[in-house]
Amino acid sequence: MNVLHVLFKVDGTEYAMPAADVVQMESFTGATPVPGAPSHVAGLVQVRGRVIPVVDARVRFGLPAGTQSLDSRVVVGQLGERTVGLLVDSAREVLKLDPRTIQPPPPMVVEGAKGFVKAVAQVGPRLVMLIDFPRVVGEEAADVDGQR
Amino acid sequence: MTGTGEFAEFLPAYLAEADELLASAQKDLLAVEEAVRKGQAQPRAVRELFRALHTLKGLSAMVDVEPVVSLAHWMEASLRLADQAGGRLPESSVEPLVEGLRAIELRVRQLGAGKTASPAPANLLERLEALGPQVRDAVPKRARPVKLDAEASFASRLAPSEREQLEGGLAGGQRALRLDFVPSSERAAKGLNINTVRERVAKLADIVKVLPLSGAAAGGASLAFALLLITRAEDGVLLDTVGGPPATVRSLEAPAPAEAPPEDGDGVPEGVEGLPGAAVLEEELEEPEVRRGGGLLRVEVSRLDEAMEWLASLVVNRSRLMRAVAALTQAGAPTREITAILQENGRQLRDLRSAILRLRMVRVGDVLERLPLLVRGLRRATGKAVRLELDVGDAELDKAVADRLLPALVHLVRNAVDHALESPEERQAASKPAEGLVRLTCHASANGQLELTLRDDGRGVDAKAVAKAANAPVPDSADALLDLLCRPGLSTRQEATRTSGRGMGMDIVRRIVVEQLGGELRMDTRKGVGTTFTVCVPLTVTLMDAIVFECAGRRYAVSVGTVEELIDVTGVVRPAGADGLGLVERRGAAVPLVSLARLLDMPVSASEAGQGAKALIVRQRGEPVAFAVDRLVGQQEIVLRPLEDPLVRVPGVAGATDLGDGQPTLVLDLGALGAARVGRRKRASRAGEWVS
Repeated sequence: MNVLHVLFKVDGTEYAMPAADVVQMESFTGATPVPGAPSHVAGLVQVRGRVIPVVDARVRFGLPAGTQSLDSRVVVGQLGERTVGLLVDSAREVLKLDPRTIQPPPPMVVEGAKGFVKAVAQVGPRLVMLIDFPRVVGEEAADVDGQR
Repeated sequence: MTGTGEFAEFLPAYLAEADELLASAQKDLLAVEEAVRKGQAQPRAVRELFRALHTLKGLSAMVDVEPVVSLAHWMEASLRLADQAGGRLPESSVEPLVEGLRAIELRVRQLGAGKTASPAPANLLERLEALGPQVRDAVPKRARPVKLDAEASFASRLAPSEREQLEGGLAGGQRALRLDFVPSSERAAKGLNINTVRERVAKLADIVKVLPLSGAAAGGASLAFALLLITRAEDGVLLDTVGGPPATVRSLEAPAPAEAPPEDGDGVPEGVEGLPGAAVLEEELEEPEVRRGGGLLRVEVSRLDEAMEWLASLVVNRSRLMRAVAALTQAGAPTREITAILQENGRQLRDLRSAILRLRMVRVGDVLERLPLLVRGLRRATGKAVRLELDVGDAELDKAVADRLLPALVHLVRNAVDHALESPEERQAASKPAEGLVRLTCHASANGQLELTLRDDGRGVDAKAVAKAANAPVPDSADALLDLLCRPGLSTRQEATRTSGRGMGMDIVRRIVVEQLGGELRMDTRKGVGTTFTVCVPLTVTLMDAIVFECAGRRYAVSVGTVEELIDVTGVVRPAGADGLGLVERRGAAVPLVSLARLLDMPVSASEAGQGAKALIVRQRGEPVAFAVDRLVGQQEIVLRPLEDPLVRVPGVAGATDLGDGQPTLVLDLGALGAARVGRRKRASRAGEWVS
């Protein structure tokens, strides 16, 4: 059965996650930084009266931080009890992915991507990375021991 | 489990009620145990315990929680026998009852956590079942001779246990009295009716029974009430309490050591009958006793939370409105009237806030009900003699704070008994009383904080042993020692806890008190004398008055309660080698000045040189520290949203709030922030030394 996915871009690469895990998309107007939080946490934003942390996908993927633009989006995902945002360069598309087009990533990618990519889907000529949202967001506790 | 759909619907109400019943059952069971140890009867507690379990059994049957039903059933059965035996239980019965209650509590918790209650342990059920015969055998075959000169008409209506209670009072040097109260319309107009009389008398005496008497009452009235009391109060005082004559006081003590009355199984003298009409009245009278907390309404916490949420959105909206009005004023619009309305609106919100907050308050004493049972268990587990003294008065605390705080207090009490107190032999060798003392006191302080003190008279914390266990230099102050104790790693090392006497789970205690509740944890310890922990927590954590300020281009808020003073920063002295730390003079004392921007890892602002900047003075581990900020914005009411996600749960940040601009504003706990950062820097530099 085809599953609806949300597509977004980080540094030119297309990523996707199941729409069922996405609460909503928000344009990004800046986050409130939290001193001592892990470096990939951009800060806090307010969504529908709730305060949620936002993970900067670029920093998390080990890329140079990009400049925020009008296209920047926060993909708000639900992780059990947690609601966490993922800051991406743009997010414009929603599409159904045929499970038959989804393949496990090549071993080299598995090693290099720290498990952030759990599968690769082929959409016509495009390759879309299915992210492991819980792993991308992570559970890293805050900077209690001074390590960052 | 059958009918799960319906079950889910009733579960919250069931859990709330079960919780309350369990709390009262625990209290009563402790009273029973105390009595058993002294070889006394405790009819009231036995009966209350019976009632609680009986109700619990009925409730559990309704929602089909079979394990609780069967546990409660066998406990109830033996208690019924004990009640009939005048409230006496054999010593051997206490342990199974405690275990039974614990087993029930465990299952209620399982249900609360969304799990299925595990089956009742078969061997526990067997032991509980076997209690019945034991209780029956333990009853003294022949009661002591009755010394009561009770009038035949009501002597028949005294249960053996009540009779025994009166005798017990006499034996204990008190007086057993019959106080007759005669109601009248004039008295009712003065607020004197049987219910108010009951309350008033209860302050002076233990009421054993209240009996309505029809017919022959003093003063020609057709109805009177006889209150049977145990008391030390004077006749005159008691008479005044019930409005004076025609009320009467009579002693229930027989004039001379009387011969035993005719003995029969139930202790009912022969040839006496109760009045049928009066019996009906008695039923009515019993009602208020059964219905504990009449005039109270039980509300699910989630509903209060909901009301709080609405209030919170009103508060946020008001901030937005104020900004909008300020903008209008600046643009030259006539806003005088709307400003006045806003002010009125602010007052109303404040009133509404305190009303809702009051709804959420619970008595600290009720929260701590579990501790005596905990200490009892520890006494058994450790073989130490311990006395727990609770002196908590009438202080109240927000339910949400109380729920979070309790585990921390449980940790502290457990530590005190487990580690701090010596064995009876050690204590005697150190010429201390064999019985150790753990004392918990609390009071609400003026600045919206609750201060709890837990003191033990044990061996004190051995700083050297702790340092050795933590592989760190011996700390030179109580604060530094507490820091070591609160290191997360320390708790896992068994030998550390055994030698240090402390340390078990202290990191958890600190995390709850300081980080989750934004409170303060202090310790004072003296070798061989004992240790005192002081916990300060805010009475409520959701709505608070805050000081809003700017630092490095961002706004922050900090609870008013934690700020001691706001100062202008002038004349900063920067001592050499202090890593940029400044000193300011404040009433003849040098106070360290910390740049908040630096603490927050923010780009350092231009005004950091100290020109016209402000500082907030906050106590950090008891010492005043000035935190330099750029500009004060003002004082306002904020809604604190705790940061629950692990990514952003950091020490020094109490939560976030919305000041009306749609952007989260961090609410800082400056004391904790400073302490966390300083600690981090110290550790980092020390690590550097080791490397080099």
